[in-house]
Amino acid sequence: MDINTALQALRDPFGVPFFPWVFQLLMVLTFALHIISVNLAVGGIAVSVYEHFKGGEYNRKLSQMLAKVATISLSSAIVLGVAPLLFVQVIYDPFWYVSNSLSAWWAIAFLLFITLGFLAHYVFYLKRHKNPAGYGLFGLSGLVFVLAAGVVMSALSVQALVPGAWLDWYSANGSLVTTGTTLYKFELGRFLHFIVPSFINIGIFMMLYAWYFRPRADIDGAWLDWVGRAGVKVAKIATMIEIVIGFWWLVMIPADLGFLHNHWLWLGSLLGLLLMVGLMKAEKDPERFAVPMALLSFIAVFGMSAAREVLRMVYVGAFKYSIYDYPVNVDWGSTALFLGTFVMGLIVMAYPLIVVFKLGRGRLSES
Amino acid sequence: MLYPIFEFPGVGGGMIIAAIATFHILPCHLATGGFWMAWYLERRGHATHDQELLDYIKRFALLILIFCFVTGSITGAGIWFASTIISPRAISGLIHNYVWGWATEWVFFLIEVVTIYTYYYTFGKVKPKTHMRIGLIYAWSAWISMVIITGILAFMMTPGKWLETGGFFDGFFNPTYWPQLFYRTMMMLAISGMFAALLAGFMKSGPTKTYVIKTAGRWGLISLSLGALFAVWYYFKLPANAHETLSGVPYDQIMFKISLGIGAVMALYFALLLTGREILVKPVLALLMIVVMFVGIGGGESVREYSRRPYLIPGVMYSNQIVAHDLEAKGIKSEVTRYQEEGFLQNNYFVPPEWRRIDEKNYMQAGMLLTKANCVICHTMEVNGRSSLPGLVTEMGSTSASELNDFLETMGEDYNFMPAFSGNPQERRAAAAFIASIVPDNENEPPTAEWVVNGE
Repeated sequence: MDINTALQALRDPFGVPFFPWVFQLLMVLTFALHIISVNLAVGGIAVSVYEHFKGGEYNRKLSQMLAKVATISLSSAIVLGVAPLLFVQVIYDPFWYVSNSLSAWWAIAFLLFITLGFLAHYVFYLKRHKNPAGYGLFGLSGLVFVLAAGVVMSALSVQALVPGAWLDWYSANGSLVTTGTTLYKFELGRFLHFIVPSFINIGIFMMLYAWYFRPRADIDGAWLDWVGRAGVKVAKIATMIEIVIGFWWLVMIPADLGFLHNHWLWLGSLLGLLLMVGLMKAEKDPERFAVPMALLSFIAVFGMSAAREVLRMVYVGAFKYSIYDYPVNVDWGSTALFLGTFVMGLIVMAYPLIVVFKLGRGRLSES
Repeated sequence: MLYPIFEFPGVGGGMIIAAIATFHILPCHLATGGFWMAWYLERRGHATHDQELLDYIKRFALLILIFCFVTGSITGAGIWFASTIISPRAISGLIHNYVWGWATEWVFFLIEVVTIYTYYYTFGKVKPKTHMRIGLIYAWSAWISMVIITGILAFMMTPGKWLETGGFFDGFFNPTYWPQLFYRTMMMLAISGMFAALLAGFMKSGPTKTYVIKTAGRWGLISLSLGALFAVWYYFKLPANAHETLSGVPYDQIMFKISLGIGAVMALYFALLLTGREILVKPVLALLMIVVMFVGIGGGESVREYSRRPYLIPGVMYSNQIVAHDLEAKGIKSEVTRYQEEGFLQNNYFVPPEWRRIDEKNYMQAGMLLTKANCVICHTMEVNGRSSLPGLVTEMGSTSASELNDFLETMGEDYNFMPAFSGNPQERRAAAAFIASIVPDNENEPPTAEWVVNGE
């Protein structure tokens, strides 16, 4: 039995309950939302810890604000991560399950790292004013744990793309490796390509923060100026680094996959360059450019998510695997249940979000 | 076809899923039930202008925020991860049938996250009516997420008409759905009462504290009592094989008694809280009660897991992830039958190529792989491990390869508490030879290679 046949046979015997492209589309969309939250969490923690240790009135104030943002972003990242995790198991089940089974302890470690990172960050956020130096270490360890979780997740995703190596890993030295202790493959370029945007997005978030609170008379205008300027600076430098890393990673991708000629890749690159130009312009007036830059960054992340999926299709296509021929047992009732709930959910969520938006802008009377 | 095997040494992979799932019950039930109590108390807080009570609710919300939305959401995803590495085909089977159910539940998770943060950070900053409305949206969303996940959990116990139709809702609204939903709804309120008592221990003495203690006791006692009634209903809805397991397996009986005993202890504790005595909510005592409750939940969950043996999806998939029977509605054929006729090693990819054909040199290694593929989800290979395979066969008294081969042949039919062995007769003998080899101080003659390969 060869790997191509095995991949077909590993697909779930129950088939999928709707057309595979729908799951693929949802996976790309929800992954983009997930990675934006991850970016805000990682960037928020990193800049928060940096500003905390740097000291100074504005720095500490920024640090406190970003620490709070990071708690919410971490929660969002976890909840938004559930959806792509679900959908990848629907259409790419053989790849995801093999990768996890072979490195099982690391899948468990991922959970541990996230938990420790989250708790350490909460300690930093809630207690930091008591003993800045001591609790700053909690912030630092929170960052290390969250990044470690990212390394594991990135490695599991990369391992999933190389089916040709699986059996060798599993039956190394003529025995059966059922220990799950090894993480077999990791690409630094790929990892950094998803992590460096943390600083782009947190920088743009800082610009948005300045724009959003500007109408409030009770908030120091000079402080908002400072946050906006700091934000655009962080975002611009990170975008430059991201472009370099993007090309570095690109040359690491096996040339025979032909990804260099893919339209999605060049569209993603174009979006990155547009962001760079936009941020250079935004330096003069960060608040004016905050909303357009946020929108552009959103689109760029969606583009990145789509390019990631196209790259996966290229990888698995080499093994004659296509999600589009996954056996389908259409279930209209449960599909309608989800779609209906999704629309209802967006409407329901709008209410608390409007309350918060108005409150933050000082347009809601207090009790 | 099976995925690579992962062995969790000493305790077995099943225990890892069980440990994460049991722990998850605490934060997830608090997340689903806590806000009904918060809403109830906040109403009173505003009506009586009791700032101390409002401060208490804010701390309660923070507890939910951290405990449920850190450990709760991570352990929730953790159940998936643990299932992925231990029993990938089982979680895959559930996902491929219920992906839209989970996706629907996910929408409610999103609403929960948005509303809980809004609720916490707008405390005292918006009108009470607006604030309570946000709390109520959270409470409903959280409970609806339970309404959905209960359908999938109950499906794993009693798939009902789904076995004939393969339809989403036929499996969802199965025979144990409603009793489980009502039972879990009551449990969420009882667990919330317990955590409310724990947090009351940090309040300063006075009438507000007494009120909170009494309220926690009232909520806990009423919901636990109603929960017990629904549990009885649930019990009578269980299929016959689950009742047989409960009455015939000592481990299951012990777990059942533990959960009943702890339920009684919790009821007594809640009844004592009705007196309003502050000593009862001293943090050490309240924490101890939470640990006791955790053990009780573990007992109950063990009973649930054991009661569906030897299946993961009753009537379809065995606990070792192999498809046991045909399922016409989905066009699925029994893998056990195929493996028994055509062989397991030839029909699976994750087999070292040199072991695919059993011979005099490799039969022990092939036997090891076959044993692990068939047994490792429930049994450990270590002598002193939990549910140890060598330990169990020693207890059974069948330790020669020949006796073990006979026993493996009876599984699934005469001995239907275990899955039928997946493999042809030659593979079965190889597995028997391997199992005999790991029995400590086995005095039987080891089988000959000739017997394993040719059956003579």
